[in-house]
Amino acid sequence: MSPNYDNSSSVSREQVTEAYLKAIRLIDERVAPYLGKATTRALVQGAARRVRDQYPFLGCLVYRPYTDIHPSFIREHVSGVTSTELAAGLDALLDECFAGLRELTGDLIVPPLHDEVTHQLRQLQ
Amino acid sequence: MESSVQSELQVPESARRSSNGDRGDRLMAIRQEMEYLNTIGKRFVAALDRIQVHRALLAALQELYSFSACCILLRGDPFELFIIPCYPLDAAFLESMFQRIASAANALNFPNIAAEQLARTAYYDAPDELAQLRSQRDTTGTEIGSCLNIPLTVENRIIGMLSLFDERPGTFDTNLLQLTTMIADYAAVALENVRLRERENALWRQAEMERIRLELIISSMAEGLLITDARGAISSLNTSAEQLLTKAQIDLQPDVPLRKLAETSHVHWLTKLAETIGLALSGKTVKNQEIVAGADGETVPLTLNISAAPIHDASGTSTRPIGVVAVLNDVTSNKQVERLKDEFVSVVSHELRTPLTAIKGYTQHLVRRIERRLRKARATPQENNPANADLPESYDLRSLNIIQSQTEHLERLVNDLLDLSQVQWGQLSLNYEPFYLADLLAENVRSVQASAEQHTIYLDIQVQDTKVVADRVRIGQVVGNILDNAIKYSPHGGQVIVNLQMQGEDYLVSISDQGVGVSPEHYDHIFERFYRVHNTASHQYSGIGLGLYVAKAIIDRHGGRIWFTNNQNTGSTFHFTLPSTPGE
Repeated sequence: MSPNYDNSSSVSREQVTEAYLKAIRLIDERVAPYLGKATTRALVQGAARRVRDQYPFLGCLVYRPYTDIHPSFIREHVSGVTSTELAAGLDALLDECFAGLRELTGDLIVPPLHDEVTHQLRQLQ
Repeated sequence: MESSVQSELQVPESARRSSNGDRGDRLMAIRQEMEYLNTIGKRFVAALDRIQVHRALLAALQELYSFSACCILLRGDPFELFIIPCYPLDAAFLESMFQRIASAANALNFPNIAAEQLARTAYYDAPDELAQLRSQRDTTGTEIGSCLNIPLTVENRIIGMLSLFDERPGTFDTNLLQLTTMIADYAAVALENVRLRERENALWRQAEMERIRLELIISSMAEGLLITDARGAISSLNTSAEQLLTKAQIDLQPDVPLRKLAETSHVHWLTKLAETIGLALSGKTVKNQEIVAGADGETVPLTLNISAAPIHDASGTSTRPIGVVAVLNDVTSNKQVERLKDEFVSVVSHELRTPLTAIKGYTQHLVRRIERRLRKARATPQENNPANADLPESYDLRSLNIIQSQTEHLERLVNDLLDLSQVQWGQLSLNYEPFYLADLLAENVRSVQASAEQHTIYLDIQVQDTKVVADRVRIGQVVGNILDNAIKYSPHGGQVIVNLQMQGEDYLVSISDQGVGVSPEHYDHIFERFYRVHNTASHQYSGIGLGLYVAKAIIDRHGGRIWFTNNQNTGSTFHFTLPSTPGE
């Protein structure tokens, strides 16, 4: 799923974050009609809990809904993290979100949604 | 039901609008769907407890799918898991269910839920029909074929999770997912309502227990407790209060304010009680108001101590009290004890006075004899008696003077004790006679100085004419008591100044010392009976705490005033005024 961000690219951390937030919003948009509005928020928080050991800078997402994330928040919490590290962390977070969604509904929602999200992320690259 | 809903959901909207026939089918499907939702909605609304919610949920879901088990996991500390099997579950199947529930709960960020913990704490809510099923067919297979987990949401808050399991693969499909979530939402609201109802019931039970406990405490109180409404009518009272009022022959009438009851009642003290309640109704707290409720002729009449406080509305919207709570304490037995004690003190004092009078008399006799001897010895020429200056009689005379002074002090103490009962029962009598106040002060100074070698007592008279009409003995007692205190509370000696001047038409006597002074916490109590200043090294100060109490009573009876001031650096000054002639 990773859109291959690296240090050599001119992509900023804010742009990386924005791309993944858009991806999560897309998940939310698709999941909400089936499982309610609160589900994606809980899925992201659960995913953040599971990846925070590997990506500590994502620990803040465990208690903060992803809908509250904005550029100044990124500046405060991920200063010192490169765009590549941030992208890798958010990619892992997204994978965990899908894993969580698969735990809930099996393959009822995930396969087409995963394709759609991957496609969107590639377009944003 | 399953097929109809499923088929309608699968038809694209554009196709449905293609013809009138399709439109009719669509309307029919919507109608069926609404009827279905209405039916399950009613089931959930009618559910009053968890079991009924479980039944409603199972019935609704079974119209959509055929599955092995349905589970409800509720968040909380501790969390709760309910397993509702549709037919008997195999142990391995069950174990896999716990694993899947734990993983899904973890995905939804539920706090720390492990499969083992779920297995230990799960509740099984098997429907009655299951027993019949068990005899008809075997248990489920060992593996889970399909699984669906749906968050239970109330107002965008996830309160738990609904899990459905089946041994066959592909049981659940996307087209029914929305409908399943809708049922889960119904169940979530119904479960939340049950939780709130249970909490309400628990709180109600707790409040009821508290009410019963409070009622028991109030009914077993020895003190009478009565509560009035905003008009001052008694709205409730405990057994003790009821007994007290009955004892006082008060005919209680409900809804009649005490003030009105007092107007027509022959019970004289009811007016006072109504006044106390009235004061509390005006927002004031009344403490320890003593009311003599018994008949006048009784030795110790029924005496009540009443405290009353306003009750304010808990919402705090109104400043006006909504009623009064009053505590009635029968202090008659205390008064009886007090009376007995005073009588005892009076008798003992009388008994002490007899030997004291003898000691005083014989001491005076000895003093006079020795004084005579000394005069005789001093009259003898010096050469015949070289040791004239160091005669043993001189030492004896000094010792006798101390005995005499201390006897007078003891006499004052005994008199104070005797006076106590008179003051207590308002029987302090005065014998007015004209005398010179300066002479009286001089006598007292001389007497006290005799046994106060460390102190120097000065008399400062600033008035020409010191003639006064008062009880000479009593005023002497006041001066003696204050002087005794001045000496006692100046353990390191120093000056004591007795000053007499005029203040308007009255004499003003001020006695200053350089002693320990009076601490602020004693200001309000120093003239109370048996009150003693327990401050700095209090153990070395003797006394019974009656001197100032009696002094105040005597000065009050003379129409004067007594008070004290703390000196700037050390000691205190006690003042009293005395009218030159008795008032009306």
